[in-house]
Amino acid sequence: MPKHIASGLKYLAAVKLKNMGKTHQEIAKELSVDRSTISHYLNGSNLSWNSIEVARTITEFCPRDFLKMAFAVFDKPEESRKIVNICRIRNYDAIIEDSCIGCGLCVNVCMMKAIKLESLHAHADSIQCCGCQLCSDECPTNSIKILEI
Amino acid sequence: MIRNLKEVKDNNFDITRAAEEVRNLSFNDHVCLGCGICESTCPVEAITLNAIAIDARHRISNDVYFSGHDKIAQNFKEDFDVQRISIDESKCVLCGMCSGLCPVDALVLTIDDVPIKEIEAYPHYNAFSEIDDDECVYCKRCEIACPRDAIVIERILPDRADLVTGEIEVDDEECIYCGVCEELCPAEAIVVDKETGKESIVIDKDKCVYCLVCKKSCPTNAIKAICRSCSYGEYDLDPAKAVVKGNSVIDSELCVYCGWCEGVCPTDAAKVKKPFEGSIEVDDDKCQACGACVDICQCNALAFPVSSGPGSRMEHVIAYDEYCVRCKACAKACPNGAITVTRTEVDHTPINSTTWKEALDAIKD
Repeated sequence: MPKHIASGLKYLAAVKLKNMGKTHQEIAKELSVDRSTISHYLNGSNLSWNSIEVARTITEFCPRDFLKMAFAVFDKPEESRKIVNICRIRNYDAIIEDSCIGCGLCVNVCMMKAIKLESLHAHADSIQCCGCQLCSDECPTNSIKILEI
Repeated sequence: MIRNLKEVKDNNFDITRAAEEVRNLSFNDHVCLGCGICESTCPVEAITLNAIAIDARHRISNDVYFSGHDKIAQNFKEDFDVQRISIDESKCVLCGMCSGLCPVDALVLTIDDVPIKEIEAYPHYNAFSEIDDDECVYCKRCEIACPRDAIVIERILPDRADLVTGEIEVDDEECIYCGVCEELCPAEAIVVDKETGKESIVIDKDKCVYCLVCKKSCPTNAIKAICRSCSYGEYDLDPAKAVVKGNSVIDSELCVYCGWCEGVCPTDAAKVKKPFEGSIEVDDDKCQACGACVDICQCNALAFPVSSGPGSRMEHVIAYDEYCVRCKACAKACPNGAITVTRTEVDHTPINSTTWKEALDAIKD
C-alpha cells in the first residue's frame, strides 16, 4: 500500500513538472524514475485512480503532516524532500531575525535541509521551505518567522 | 525531537547533542574562575552560579562560614563537593555563547570535535601569555609565582666540570686514608675506602671544583691540587658551555593571563596580554576582612597585609591592580559589597552576529 501512495505522489509530481513545461526525459531524471514509467504515468495508465486520490489528499494536509507522511512513505529522505518540494501547494518565506544566536537547533530539526549556519546566524532557503514550522517551534529565541506567500 | 545527553564526572560534565553535527559542551570545574559571565550571558537561562562559587567560603549548615583548614574541611566533604556552576541540560541549546565568552577554558563547546576557539566565525578574546626562550634565564620565578600552577620550567644546567679548571692528584705513598677530605669535600667528589687491606681514594674530576679544601685539610699533605680558573680560565673554559638552557611551557587551559609571570620576570621573557581592561577598588570602610575574595580570586590579586604582630587586628584586604583580570568573581563573593570591579574594554576578534556582539558588549560596564 505505501508503494501505491508513493507512486501516486510521484504521479502528481510528474504532472506538476509537465505543467511547468518539462519534457518526459527531464521529469524522469528529476524524479529518478525511468522514462517509460513517466510516460505511462502521464498517459494515465499503470496507476489506480484511488492511490492518486490518497496522494492528493496527503498533499493537502497541513505542511507538517504532509512532510512527515512523505518521509514515512519513501525510503530515501532525499526522495521525500524532492516530492514535498514539488507537490506542496503553498510557498513560504522563511525569515530569520537578528536575534538568532546561532545554536544550530533549526539546522538539526529541518527535515528539508533548508537551513544553514553561517557566521553564527542561521540562513533559510525559502525555496526549500515546506512551511512545517518545526524550526520555529524549536527556536529558543523565537527568531524564525515562516510566512505564507 | 533531538535530546541533549548529560554525563557528569566528579564536578565536571558534558552535554551532547548528536544530530548531523555533534555539539558537545564540557565543563571543567578546576579551570573555572567563578566569574559568572556564563550565567549572565546564557540566552536560555540554563546556567546558575552555585553558592559555593558565590561566597567561595566553605559553608556549613546554618550559613556559618569558615575559611577552612583542610583538616576541618574533610569532615564536611559532602557539603563542599559542589561544582562552581550548574547547567540545566533540558534548557541548554548548545549555542556556545557561554563557551565563547568564558575568559578561561572552563566551558568548551566543540562542534564535530573542533573547539569553537578554532572556528573563525566564533569570537575569541585577544589574550595571550608567552615566555620567550631567547630572553628566558630559567630562573623559575614565574613558575613559583603562577597562582594556577600553569607554568613548568624545565632547566638544563651546564656540567660543573665546564665551569672550573684545575689539577688534582693524590700521592698514594703519603695518603693514610683517614677520610678527612671526603667528609669536608663540599662537592662530594672524593670517595675513600678505609677498610684495612682494601684502602683506596678516588677523586671524581667531573665533580671537583678545585676549592682546595682537601689539600688544606690533609694531615699528611698527600693531596696536590691547583685551581687554574683565574689564571687560565679564558684558555681552558668555553663560555658557551656555561650557559643554562631549558624549556618553558604554559598550560593554556589553566592560564588566566593574570600577569604574575611578567611581573616577577627579571628579564623581558614573560609577556601577557589580558582580555579585559578595567579597574578594581576596595572600599576600606565596608571590608570586614573576612577573606572570601582572597579565597575565590584565582589570580592572587587580593591579599591581606602581613600581620604586625600577635593579637593585631586583621586589616582590610589589598588589591593588586596589575594582577587583576577584572573577572569580578571577588565582587560577587564579597558579602559586604566592598569590592568594585569595572570592565571597560573587552578585546575580542570581530564578529558579524548581532546577538553575539550584544552579549560581548553586555559584559562591559
